[in-house]
Amino acid sequence: MTSPVLVIGAGVAGMTAAIELADSGVKVVLVDRLRTIGGNALDLYKAFPTDDCFYCFEGNRTRPGIRKCFYRSAMTDQPNIDLYTDTTVEEISGEAGEFHAKLAVGPRYVDPKKCILCGKCMEHSQAFEMLSPQCQPQAVVYNPSKAEDGDKKAEEECPTEAINLNAEASEETVKVSDIIIATGYHEMKPVNVEEYGYGTHPNIVTQLELAKMLDPNGESAGTLLRPSDGEPVKRMMMVQCVGSRDERYYPYCSKICCVFALKHAVIATKERENIKVSVVYMDIRTYDRHEQYYREAREDGVEFVRGRVTRIEPRNDGSLDVIVYDSLLDKYLKSNIDLFVLSSALEPPEGASDLMSQLGLKSASGFVAPVDLVAENEVVVGKRIYACGTALGPAEVPESVNQARAVVSKILQSRK
Amino acid sequence: MAETDEKASPPVTLVDPIDMSKLDPSFRDDVKSMPNGEELTACFACSTCTAACPIANQWDFKPHQLIRMILLGMREEVLSSREIWECLTCFECQERCPQNVRVTDIFFDCKNLAAEEGYEVPENVLVLGKELVDKGQLYVVTADWEREDLDLEPEVPGLSVEEVEKILKKTRTGRLVGGE
Amino acid sequence: MPTYNLYMGCSVPANYPNYEAAMLRVAKAFDMELEYMEDVACCGSPNLRAFDYFGWLVVNARTIAIGEKNGNDIVTPCNGCFGSLKDVLYHLKHDDEMRKEVNDELKEEGLELKGTIKVRHFVEALYTDIGIDAIRAKVTNPLDGAEIAIHYGCHLLRPEDVTEFNPEVLKELIRVTGAKVTEYPLWKQCCGATVLPVNEPLAIRLARDKLNSIKTAGAEFITVVCPACGNQLDLQQLGMKESYGEEYDLPVLLYPQILGLAMGMSEDEVGLNMNRVPAQGILEHLVE
Ligand SMILES: Cc1cc2nc3c(=O)[nH]c(=O)nc-3n(C[C@H](O)[C@H](O)[C@H](O)COP(=O)(O)OP(=O)(O)OC[C@H]3O[C@@H](n4cnc5c(N)ncnc54)[C@H](O)[C@@H]3O)c2cc1C
Ligand code: SF4
Ligand code: SF4
Ligand code: SF4
Ligand code: SF4
Repeated sequence: MTSPVLVIGAGVAGMTAAIELADSGVKVVLVDRLRTIGGNALDLYKAFPTDDCFYCFEGNRTRPGIRKCFYRSAMTDQPNIDLYTDTTVEEISGEAGEFHAKLAVGPRYVDPKKCILCGKCMEHSQAFEMLSPQCQPQAVVYNPSKAEDGDKKAEEECPTEAINLNAEASEETVKVSDIIIATGYHEMKPVNVEEYGYGTHPNIVTQLELAKMLDPNGESAGTLLRPSDGEPVKRMMMVQCVGSRDERYYPYCSKICCVFALKHAVIATKERENIKVSVVYMDIRTYDRHEQYYREAREDGVEFVRGRVTRIEPRNDGSLDVIVYDSLLDKYLKSNIDLFVLSSALEPPEGASDLMSQLGLKSASGFVAPVDLVAENEVVVGKRIYACGTALGPAEVPESVNQARAVVSKILQSRK
Repeated sequence: MAETDEKASPPVTLVDPIDMSKLDPSFRDDVKSMPNGEELTACFACSTCTAACPIANQWDFKPHQLIRMILLGMREEVLSSREIWECLTCFECQERCPQNVRVTDIFFDCKNLAAEEGYEVPENVLVLGKELVDKGQLYVVTADWEREDLDLEPEVPGLSVEEVEKILKKTRTGRLVGGE
Repeated sequence: MPTYNLYMGCSVPANYPNYEAAMLRVAKAFDMELEYMEDVACCGSPNLRAFDYFGWLVVNARTIAIGEKNGNDIVTPCNGCFGSLKDVLYHLKHDDEMRKEVNDELKEEGLELKGTIKVRHFVEALYTDIGIDAIRAKVTNPLDGAEIAIHYGCHLLRPEDVTEFNPEVLKELIRVTGAKVTEYPLWKQCCGATVLPVNEPLAIRLARDKLNSIKTAGAEFITVVCPACGNQLDLQQLGMKESYGEEYDLPVLLYPQILGLAMGMSEDEVGLNMNRVPAQGILEHLVE
């Protein structure tokens, strides 16, 4: 019998690879270090290019959803997939065709197969959380750092006996034939880009943080409120290329931040009331078909200023005065705004370099690099080692999915 | 720090920004709603129009800047600019705009707005308006012998001056230059 | 025998009777029936559009509506009139509301603009309706390859979606006379005529730019199809000579003058003595 395939990272890319291999009869070990799978896409609300919503589960009482996502719902039911959440890969040894991966599996406080999301435990203790309306597996998780007295009661009253507060971490070694790296990206916390004041004022946020604020399932039900005092946001300014295309941080263009900034600008302008959005940019880089977002945004009245921020002056009323140098007018513009949003660089996730050096992989600006640059081989990063999605560098969902499919077809071919 | 409104005290820094809250966003809407303004907001500030313009180099505000100023709401600055009146109406900018912004036509609209809102219209332009209202034409035949030498009728056949005078007295021309 | 509504405007009759005469003679030779329009008004030029958009629309819509009464296309020798009439027609075809408003103004006179006829420049009508072959057949005294630069004039070329004029038309019309078309880099550029009332020095700089470009390219003559361009490139040369001692010595001919001469018309018939920069030199290029 052939060994299973190890997929590291269960974001859109890893999930696609896992489910399509599993559907073709290949056994898969799918590992994610977080307690829910889905990766960054979990927080995105609407997605370009289809403007679909990322809530892809059928609604029930705790999670109003829109449509059923055929990937994620299958993730826990597919018998060929062995899903390990809260799990990291400690060590990989062996060689192509017969790798040995040592997994460090976090304590299974709540058995996801038993939990029916009745919500009782959450009434007793804050340590029980639902990470996201579309978390997967669909179960609550237990956060020991928030432990409190109610925990015991929750354990006792759980109708399905899903909770085990004494659970312990474990270790497991799996033998796999191929490895797929789908560890994705991380949105840089731009604390070091001093001129934008991230971390110094609550009303200065990143795009991913804005995505959560815009989310109708979020804290404010999608209404944009100033984090400082909950007042409605009337003026919002975005600034592009924060830490990208900057030799002091990341030399590359993060590729998709222009498009999602436009997406957010249009949502705020069109779907929320009375919000004026300006975007400060050096170039707006909307690749191929995404140019339409740019035109749409202009037509919807989003203001674009080519230039850079001179300085930010917080006012006592919680708003910010931002002075921007408009290089097209050769003038400085001063605007008063409620929310300052940074399109921060998309960087390699933590731990990526360890993984690459363990497997002897090449790196390109910290992301996994293909062995050779021929387009059809871009997903081949080592001997029977593949990468897909944003593990290879910033990419949108459709591109990540395409790469995952390319990996699947390479693996299936090699098994024929 | 308080608002930077106190004019008395010297500016704190050398940067003297345009206060966006003092601009007039309705200007953008006014121009957009004019007959040629529809594509105004499609402008993405590429400055092709300026590259195409034969006289932009002589101007303080270049065509792409004027369009930007309209979008930002700088009504005063645009409508009192000499540039809109010096525009040759040569349509080179408009012809090349990659977003189909009707740049020249928009400058025509701006001139109309300027005239409507009481901004200064150059003296010699008003003189032409006066000619039209008073004489019903811009050029009058003076050397009719030249015409006769060429076997042409001495007067321009068919040119009616009364009707123009009548029409223009009722429209903005009449209001700007008055009738006779 | 095509029949047209001839719209002269005010500038050609007043300033360029030679253009008018040459055009009428050429048209006659090809049986183009140019009938002067009756009771029509001055187009107001782009200047009127600048400060009185609505007045400009009404005045020109009125002219077109008068033309529509007999259904013949309007033909004009002036770029200013062509631009104004054609632009108004374009605007009113694309703006239903405005068309209604304008027509309300015309109602009193029993007129209505419906958009049933075309507005055309004389050279385009000549080219399209008569055709190069028929023209060639009448060229009896062709030019011997004289180098002629074409200045089209802005409002003949642009905006293209409005004017619908193909630059090749004038090139072919020049070549059929036996002359050569001199290509020069600034062929699209404005002559500066429109800015004359507002900033004369700027207007002169534009004319100078143009003349330099034409001279450097080796042209001996310039042809124009608009009185304003003619004024700017021809008359202005005299002024530049007087004020700055600059001499270009580039005679400026209205296109029908060149064709007329090549068809055997006399110097007087095309009014050559009225051109500002002496243009008699062209006669030496005629092959008998
Ligand atoms: C603000 C914003 C808006 C966006 N909007 C859109 C949009 O509208 N449309 C669109 O197409 N794209 C959008 N994107 C891009 C989209 O987020 C990505 O294309 C997509 O999420 C990439 O999926 P992925 O699987 O490659 O990576 P990720 O989503 O990053 O998933 C990687 C997974 O791997 C796990 N992981 C990482 N390292 C390890 C490890 N060592 N061991 C175990 N597990 C690990 C992570 O926990 C994570 O779950 C947006 C991005 C941002 C920042
Ligand atoms: S009480 Fe049990 S079944 Fe209900 S949500 Fe909590 S863990 Fe799940
Ligand atoms: S995608 Fe846009 S914001 Fe992001 S790095 Fe590139 S240019 Fe800058
Ligand atoms: S060419 Fe068009 S899009 Fe470019 S700056 Fe000018 S008006 Fe804007
Ligand atoms: S129409 Fe006016 S702004 Fe446009 S290119 Fe000509 S002179 Fe410049």
